[in-house]
Amino acid sequence: MGITLSNISKAFGGFRALNDVSLEARSGEFLALLGPSGSGKTTLLRIIAGLEFADVGHVAFDGEDVTDRPVTDRGVGFVFQQYALFRHMTVADNIGFGLAVRKRRDRPAKAEIARRVEELLELVQLRGLGSRYPAQLSGGQRQRVALARALAVEPRILLLDEPFGALDAKVRKDLRRWLRELHDRMGLTSIFVTHDQEEALELADRVVVMDHGVIEQVAEPDTVYNDPATSFVFDFVGESNRLPVTISGGRVLYGGSVLDAGVAPERDGKASLFFRPHDVAFAAPGEGVITATVSLARPHGGATRVEAGVEGRDTPLELNFTGTEPPRVGDLIAIRPTKARLFYEEQ
Amino acid sequence: MAGEAEYRAQRATGESPWVRRGLIGLSLAFLLVFLLLPLIAVFGEALSRGLAPFFAAMVEPDALAAIKLTLTVAAISVPLNCVFGIAAAWAITKFDFPGKGFLITLIDLPFSVSPVVAGLIYVLLFGANGWFGAWLIEHDVQIVFAVPGIVLATMFVTFPFVARELIPLMAEQGRDDEEAALSLGANGWQTFWRVTLPNIRWGLLYGVLLCNARAMGEFGAVSVVSGHIRGETNTMPLHVEILYNEYNFVASFAVASLLALLALLTLVIKSVLEWRYNYHGSGRH
Repeated sequence: MGITLSNISKAFGGFRALNDVSLEARSGEFLALLGPSGSGKTTLLRIIAGLEFADVGHVAFDGEDVTDRPVTDRGVGFVFQQYALFRHMTVADNIGFGLAVRKRRDRPAKAEIARRVEELLELVQLRGLGSRYPAQLSGGQRQRVALARALAVEPRILLLDEPFGALDAKVRKDLRRWLRELHDRMGLTSIFVTHDQEEALELADRVVVMDHGVIEQVAEPDTVYNDPATSFVFDFVGESNRLPVTISGGRVLYGGSVLDAGVAPERDGKASLFFRPHDVAFAAPGEGVITATVSLARPHGGATRVEAGVEGRDTPLELNFTGTEPPRVGDLIAIRPTKARLFYEEQ
Repeated sequence: MAGEAEYRAQRATGESPWVRRGLIGLSLAFLLVFLLLPLIAVFGEALSRGLAPFFAAMVEPDALAAIKLTLTVAAISVPLNCVFGIAAAWAITKFDFPGKGFLITLIDLPFSVSPVVAGLIYVLLFGANGWFGAWLIEHDVQIVFAVPGIVLATMFVTFPFVARELIPLMAEQGRDDEEAALSLGANGWQTFWRVTLPNIRWGLLYGVLLCNARAMGEFGAVSVVSGHIRGETNTMPLHVEILYNEYNFVASFAVASLLALLALLTLVIKSVLEWRYNYHGSGRH
């Protein structure tokens, strides 16, 4: 089921949580809302669910306007960050809740509900745990109960708020892969909120990067990482180094001297030069290079992670070098970005 | 070895054994003199002439009327305060609205105001010379010096118990469970009965219990609005006072011992509830 959000704005008191946000999720798509806390991603998810209502704008499912429809009638599955399992009910009663509260004429018989619950327990790999209480389960198991409960009402749209936030790293990885499979198998349209870029890039078909209540970029994970639309995206997704530079006469000036950054500036002005830690190469000392002093060098995956201090910059550059002779602490190195992006400052 | 470990543990907390013993002894002595002795005195005095006068004092018509009135007042005011308490706690913890802080303060008002003042408010409002007095007389409705006045005064005094118990509990639980229920298609009513109420049941029971104990034992506010009409508007605490003022000590203490028994019963149920509450509470997350 496709989801269309048009021109959504929402304020809480004086705080503008969302500012004219438009977004489309195609049917069957797995979308990640990625951003730091306070970026409005959770608010946007809750507006899609009908747990919150937009001040301005419209929400449509498959072209049908559902803007004013409350959560009870939207038929979406919602998985809460802390799972919100009903602690006084068994796992089976939790999962069957959505069926048990239906109006009499739509409500399946008790035996039918029990059968559906068994099916769902099987689906989330919790067979035999139906009579337990939520408090008796591990974090990963609770997460899966929450998911089974949301799926019991057969939603076409699944919304997840920081679904892996409360889990440890190992469980998180397994559950991620499993959730992606489940999404594909059930033909759902899913949107999940996360502040973890790795999670978003690994799991989603498209990533929606948000900051301060606006969408910075919507793109495939690959594009978000390799072709960030804004300086915020470059900074937030993946590791990066930022150098404040001045563009003058088509040349990049850093600290008064020319820097050969391999970029083609469009106009003069103040700008930021971004590059990833691994997009650097050693260069011969002299014109057009960055000179830095190595303050730390340690193994990092198959490469060497180097922190190097540059004059006029408080935090050291983070660089990755592969090769047999990495620099050592105290070395003075000359480097040149091999792949950099220029973002002009707003005027 | 164990002794040494224990000694070290004690030393780590800073107080010498003598300070500890002194504090424990002091608390126990205080409890003994101020709480246990009076309680024993009540039962002792009530039974001082044997069992026959003790029971006679309780089945005497005026005493029976007082017991009946007390139970009636509690039976009306406790359920109503239970409903109001849940409503107030719900409103405060689940919604944001202007004037919330004021409402929280207002809920505490009955605790901070002297019960006598609480009673006088109703006399001022509904008494013969009160704001609505003339209108009430005209329509032949009696509130002050009658059962409605006693119920109103009791409700005023006991209002905070349920709300006070529920507000922190519901605030801690947040709205997630309710939102989850709604997202699964439950309506507001189903959400309340199936999710909210089970979540707060122990806290609610606890609040109701305290509310009931106070409703039955309230003296000051009720005394002002009751009018002390024997067999009609006398509750148990008022009846105790009247008997005492008439130097009818055995009867007075006999009825008082009934109230004391009620208090003891409340304490027992409260302890049981606390035990269950903690037991369930600990496994919550």
